[in-house]
Amino acid sequence: MSGVAVSHLRLVSAPPPRPSPDEACLDAFQRELDYVFRTLRRLGTAPGEVEDLAQEVFLALRGAWAEYDAERPLRPYLFGIAFRIASAHQRKRNREVSFGVIDVGDSGPGPDAALERKQARVLVLAALERIPLPRRAVLVMHDIDDVPVTQVATVLKIPMFTVYSRLRKARRELEAALRRIVKETNTR
Amino acid sequence: MTSFRPPLPPEVDSLLDHERDISPLPAAVRARSLARARAALVAGAGRSSSRPMTAPRRMRWAAAAALVCVGGAAIGAVAYEVRVRLIKEPAARPAARSVASVATKPAPTALAEAPMAEGPVADAPTTAPDTHAAPRLSRADAARAELRLLKQARAAVARENYAAAMPPIAEHGRRFKDGRLAEEREALRVKALAGLGRTDEAQRAAAAFRARFPRSVLLPAVGRMPARER
Repeated sequence: MSGVAVSHLRLVSAPPPRPSPDEACLDAFQRELDYVFRTLRRLGTAPGEVEDLAQEVFLALRGAWAEYDAERPLRPYLFGIAFRIASAHQRKRNREVSFGVIDVGDSGPGPDAALERKQARVLVLAALERIPLPRRAVLVMHDIDDVPVTQVATVLKIPMFTVYSRLRKARRELEAALRRIVKETNTR
Repeated sequence: MTSFRPPLPPEVDSLLDHERDISPLPAAVRARSLARARAALVAGAGRSSSRPMTAPRRMRWAAAAALVCVGGAAIGAVAYEVRVRLIKEPAARPAARSVASVATKPAPTALAEAPMAEGPVADAPTTAPDTHAAPRLSRADAARAELRLLKQARAAVARENYAAAMPPIAEHGRRFKDGRLAEEREALRVKALAGLGRTDEAQRAAAAFRARFPRSVLLPAVGRMPARER
């Protein structure tokens, strides 16, 4: 009898072991680590502080992992966490830190990246830096991360109309900031 | 993803295009970050709170609200205590004053009223605890009590039973020295004393009345009474 049972059990393929929540969370964080770093930079975190804040994002993600619906895209969820952490960090600093146009400590692409590309990204980051964080978050989510307005509203916990108005204003501010930075660079 | 695409100028859009690509982190940075994350997992950090950003803030708000509640309750208790003391003090003061005046200089009215403890409110002087009960009266109750006493006095004066008028007047003076009907009481006192033939006391009471209530509508009547009764 027991021999039959054993052979029967052996015939049934065992389900793959499910990763523990901690492992699943770490996997997700590992997959989106580049995105987390870049998002924190876009939200105005100084290059030297990105690693620490990314760590905070991981801890927050882990704390909220049980509530996270795996069916939903992870990036907007991570953006929401990163936004709150960056906002809190900015409040703590209690002052805007202007990184200037030339961002030497940028942890983006290495020296092998195209110079034009790097300059463009630096320019965009510098322009983003001049937009207040609430509007900047909407612009980054929608215009850079390509997140729909409804989801932006959900993640940032603001009404849709607020998203639209912030987006409209942030775009104007981005254009103005880009023009100003280019002008400043040319006059140097 | 569906979204309404902004009418951004092409040059701005191309700049954002550069930013849309996320280039990989340097290997060293990636390794360091993941090592820190693993270390945090091993240490068990970040598991206690499901919302690490919001929970401390909520705790702070809850603590602040609790402090406000406790502070409000404390202030309320202190205010209540102060109010109770303030109410008790004015009631205690007349009693103390009357005792002092009796001890130092026997007031004519007090001496006169002592033997007149008869009539409708004959047992009124024995109601010493009333001096303590008075502060507990509400405004409406105090007004009713004042009126009741002075109705008795007025009725006695109307019957020309001036001796019977003195006890309620004395009780009113003790319980409601500065009551709403103090003016009426003092006028009745003058009339009762004059009616009893205690002219000197009546004149002194009339003089006190004029000094205390110089604009009283009862002033002409009070001024006439001692002379008329005499």
